[in-house]
Amino acid sequence: MLNIVVGIKWVPNTTLVNIDPRTGTLIREGISSIVNPHDLVAVEMALRLKNEYGGTVTVITMSPPSAIAGLEHVIGMGADRGILVSDRAFAGADTLATSYALAKTMERLDYNLIVFGQETIDSSTAHIGAQVASWLKIPYIYYVTEARYIEDRNIIRVKRALENAYETYELELPALISVAMHSLNPRRVSIYNKLRVKLESPIETWSNEILGLEKNCIGLKGSPTALAKIEMIPKVLRKNEVFKGNDVKKAARWLVKKLLEEGLIEI
Amino acid sequence: MKGAGYIFDAIVVGAGPAGSSAAYTLARKGFKVLVVERGRTPGSKNMFGGRVYADPIREVFPNLNKSAPIHRWVTKERISMVSGEKMTSLEFEGKKNVSFTTYLTELSNWMAKQVEEAGGIVLTEITVDNFIVKDGRVKGIRVGNEEVFSDVVIDAEGINRLLLERAGLIPRITPNYAGLGVKEVIKLSKEDIEKNFGLGSGEGIAWLLIGDIMEGLPGGAFLYTNKDSISLGIVVMLGSAMERMKEHISRYVERLRLHPLLEKYFREGRIMEYSAHLVPEYVWPAIPHRLYGDGFLVAGDAAGLLLNLGYNFRGVDFASYSGYLAAQAVEKAHSLGGMSAENLSIYQELLEKSFILRELRKFKNAPKMRKNERLYDFYPYLINAIADKIFHAKYETPKIMDAFKEANKGRIGWFTLIRDLYEVSRSI
Amino acid sequence: MSVAKDERVKKEKPMKVDDILNNDIWDVDYEPHIRVDSEKCRKCKNKPCLYLCPAQCYTLVGNEVLFSYEGCLECGTCRVICPENAITWNYPVSGRGIHYRFS
Repeated sequence: MLNIVVGIKWVPNTTLVNIDPRTGTLIREGISSIVNPHDLVAVEMALRLKNEYGGTVTVITMSPPSAIAGLEHVIGMGADRGILVSDRAFAGADTLATSYALAKTMERLDYNLIVFGQETIDSSTAHIGAQVASWLKIPYIYYVTEARYIEDRNIIRVKRALENAYETYELELPALISVAMHSLNPRRVSIYNKLRVKLESPIETWSNEILGLEKNCIGLKGSPTALAKIEMIPKVLRKNEVFKGNDVKKAARWLVKKLLEEGLIEI
Repeated sequence: MKGAGYIFDAIVVGAGPAGSSAAYTLARKGFKVLVVERGRTPGSKNMFGGRVYADPIREVFPNLNKSAPIHRWVTKERISMVSGEKMTSLEFEGKKNVSFTTYLTELSNWMAKQVEEAGGIVLTEITVDNFIVKDGRVKGIRVGNEEVFSDVVIDAEGINRLLLERAGLIPRITPNYAGLGVKEVIKLSKEDIEKNFGLGSGEGIAWLLIGDIMEGLPGGAFLYTNKDSISLGIVVMLGSAMERMKEHISRYVERLRLHPLLEKYFREGRIMEYSAHLVPEYVWPAIPHRLYGDGFLVAGDAAGLLLNLGYNFRGVDFASYSGYLAAQAVEKAHSLGGMSAENLSIYQELLEKSFILRELRKFKNAPKMRKNERLYDFYPYLINAIADKIFHAKYETPKIMDAFKEANKGRIGWFTLIRDLYEVSRSI
Repeated sequence: MSVAKDERVKKEKPMKVDDILNNDIWDVDYEPHIRVDSEKCRKCKNKPCLYLCPAQCYTLVGNEVLFSYEGCLECGTCRVICPENAITWNYPVSGRGIHYRFS
């Protein structure tokens, strides 16, 4: 049986990224949040493993309370339980403090497999999975595209995709895997599951009163990472010229000449 | 299967103004109501021009003034005839709180919150695939391969009404009975809005424009001031647009935004959102379908309940009130013993007695009148040409009749002019 | 990334539909919610979808209509106007698709 915990993040939907030219900061007005799309892939893998081998899927996130909508979405997909780790004391956490709080939450759960997405679309550090595994002292592997549970040996056999090869690993459980982005299509939200979370088993919220974590290890105090500066990449203006005419050979000669002039190609 | 035991008194499809008004009314009367909404939040799939008439909605939601997201009360109404770089306008100003501007996204969200507070259940992210129909009676909804049952389903899915079409209850909407609204919401500071449009704090303008901005296509343009943005857009009739549109529809909106007589009002603005939605354009009472049947009722845009007079649009209040009446019909049918078509037929009676069908019948000639192309092309030209001759007279001012004759150049006869005038005043 | 200054209302050149659409938010569905029967589509002379789809999801490449569902505003116009009835249109699932905030 697999008791799976999935960590997800509630992130701004960054399909829209406007920068205020005066302040150089993101215009966040009215930006809606979504579950990090790569985490939905992790949830999908967890649900497939549960369907095949039996067990449970618990999803946790550390976030302000607005993330409840995200947890309800993954419960809609079929996860059994949603836990929101939320406390003012956690605010301002970097990846170290975040992974610490998540690891300490997971310690309280009966798990033998932890699944994360590859990275988040809002910060792309891909730190959390590795850090949680370190805190919990369990084996960890990333870029996983397929996973099989071999119960009698208490291992999970995973396939991962590298640039020019597939690798297969066996990890002794408990273990942590992070799933390669786009490797699976997340399933559709179910109305029964949505009704269940609404009427019967709402999302649990765990504050630091429940977790009792050291103030020095969480929030801003537990975060050694400091953001020094954000610099905007200046917009590069490209030259453009259009060849006018229908003669393909002439066009090709013209193009080669132009590229030579610019020093972009050599003969 | 787990969850299959959920049964509701009523399932409402769509958490827009019609759906939430129905659900709120039923929940307050103690019915067990489920609202399913396909958007991530209520209102996230919804769009409208920009103005809502308050009184019918206040009848449904008594706390409208207290907590609804009202942006500005409309105190100024302006109708403009545009040709080239000339514009003749009629303006009315009065300080009554009759209609207000808002984002329908916000208003829908607020209405859905009222439903939840009244004890109704609102589920988002749920796309209904089909109605469950057994022996000609609607029994519930199907989502993927899951089924949820109810005594009655109120269809408030909006104008595309795929569910009704799939169930064979309503034919597909055709281009001659639909308009397309496209709008840009432009961010502008509260101060700039009030300065540029001559408005007091919290006051708004509703501005409708017809003329050659639409390149002769039947349709019009609108501008509404929100709290700190303006809604700028057009509505075209699909039937005529299909035949005559020469450019992409966004170009028409852009021409409006860049129009030399308009752009000064929002020069400092920045586009915040671009949206589009269909608008029902029925010719009442020739509705091609019934709005009730065994186990179901239809409300709002799905029922085609919208009034477009050219100078005002009434969709949201019609939708909201029709949902309210649908809820009353359900209550009545419940007391009569069940949700049969016969018992639910009270819905049609309630609609007939209400302002909704009275208005739609009264203005039944409006859609035909609005197809008169001279309204969009020739008359704006004529009125501006006359105004130009009178107001831009340098030495001698012509008499109005002479200005008319000169501007008209014999293009339109007295008979046509009088007939058009008669048609307009008779229709709207 | 686009800079807000570029989106000022007053502009010298017309804006591309894509630039205007950049102000909207989607959570794009994994499966297309619209399908176009290309055989039927080829028979159509006027192709009103090219002008009337507000998001310009339909563009002409050679003689063929190229279709993408990602920027769809879910207004339903294409389905209603298609003269050949070539369009199968569904609502996206799981809350995906366009997400209006100020409309």
